[in-house]
Amino acid sequence: MVHQEYKELFSVHALTALQPGDARMLTAHLEQCSECRSAMDQWEETVGLLAFDAGAAEPSHHLRERILQTARNSPASSQGGGQTADATNVIPMPVQRSHSFSMQSWAAIAAVFAFGAFVISLLVLWSQHNASKQELALLSIQVKDAQQQLARQREAIEIVTTPGTQSVELEGTEVAPEAHATVAYDRSGRAVLLANNLPPTPEGKAYQLWFVVSGQLTPGKLFLPDTSGHGSVEDQIPAAARGSTGFAITLEPEGGVAAPTGPIYLRSDP
Amino acid sequence: MRAEPAQTSDNELLKAIARSDETALGSLYDRYRVILFGLLVRILNSREEAEDVLQEVFIQVWRRAAHFDESRGRAFTWLVTVARSRAIDRLRVLAARGRLADAARRDEWESVSDADTDAFYAERSEIVRRALQEIPEEQRLTLRLAYFEGLTQSEIATKLGTPLGTVKTRMRAGMLKLRELLGHQVRNLI
Repeated sequence: MVHQEYKELFSVHALTALQPGDARMLTAHLEQCSECRSAMDQWEETVGLLAFDAGAAEPSHHLRERILQTARNSPASSQGGGQTADATNVIPMPVQRSHSFSMQSWAAIAAVFAFGAFVISLLVLWSQHNASKQELALLSIQVKDAQQQLARQREAIEIVTTPGTQSVELEGTEVAPEAHATVAYDRSGRAVLLANNLPPTPEGKAYQLWFVVSGQLTPGKLFLPDTSGHGSVEDQIPAAARGSTGFAITLEPEGGVAAPTGPIYLRSDP
Repeated sequence: MRAEPAQTSDNELLKAIARSDETALGSLYDRYRVILFGLLVRILNSREEAEDVLQEVFIQVWRRAAHFDESRGRAFTWLVTVARSRAIDRLRVLAARGRLADAARRDEWESVSDADTDAFYAERSEIVRRALQEIPEEQRLTLRLAYFEGLTQSEIATKLGTPLGTVKTRMRAGMLKLRELLGHQVRNLI
């Protein structure tokens, strides 16, 4: 797809109405193209004005205090991690002082050569092989996926570490005996599921979370495991299910279903 | 709409929120609760669900304010984007649970207004609605189905029984017209 073709997608992307494949391609392009990103931002500002078409409505008066109370009990963004937090996560290597000068010099030289070779390789690949552009686009998508996964994991940690959070263990059934999961949920019903050793899903299928309410299954969100069998999903426990501590995971069509149709892979004790 | 004069800019409020300033969070809530809640009620057609999502939005703001990049756009746009995204997610969950209120699928749009609004809101609402009225009805419908129901172009084509190519053409033409009518006013409107 050429530059101009991407531009024609901006307005529809701002409405989040593109087909998933086109949206992924455009997202990858936007990661690389600051000019397009700037144009996209302008479209999003225009689309944001459609909120004024909705009409005005006043939430109940107690909501403000509920939000501030929840905020009071959870870490704010400046404390919750982010780009600057990475620096504090670095574990320093012990310094070998007796060889520090020569080792550092060789390391610096090697790093310069390695970096130079890397840059040259990139330039050669970029100029000679258009296909490498597509690879970079895919890598960009993977990086974004990884960043989103990291953000989800941070949110999961926030839920798990919120005072008053409860957790429920889910064990694998006969179709996935090695699988295991934990659901943690706070007082507001915000829940996170962390699963391990899940079998890969067939094409067109995804795992679906279920809340057990009075013996009935209420559908939750869908998720896909990674190649290592790890999966996670955040969901809001429905108000009617907040007294319940029952959860289950089934394999369903990727669009989700209102009632379970596939086998149960994980479930909590009754 | 705005319960208090906007003496502090939105960006300054977000910076204060990033420093864990609860008062700033309250001020931002006071400033935008009515328009955001109106948007959420319109998408979800349920005050209860809309309040749940509005709470999620402001908790997300509390947690992510430090990541807001003012060079990428206005705080208002960010808030609306977060609110709409969360509401569409909730709409899909409700649809999967078979609990979607019929009215959320209406084709004719009515105002959900039940709040006293000030000149700030009334003026902007009037400008946006007047612009939408200038867009041909079939184009306007595709924009509203995408924006308020979170439908993709192919889902809109299925819903309306219209060829996908026609939906794409209408949507793009509608968006270009919308920008032509509102684009130069964006900076003054928000």
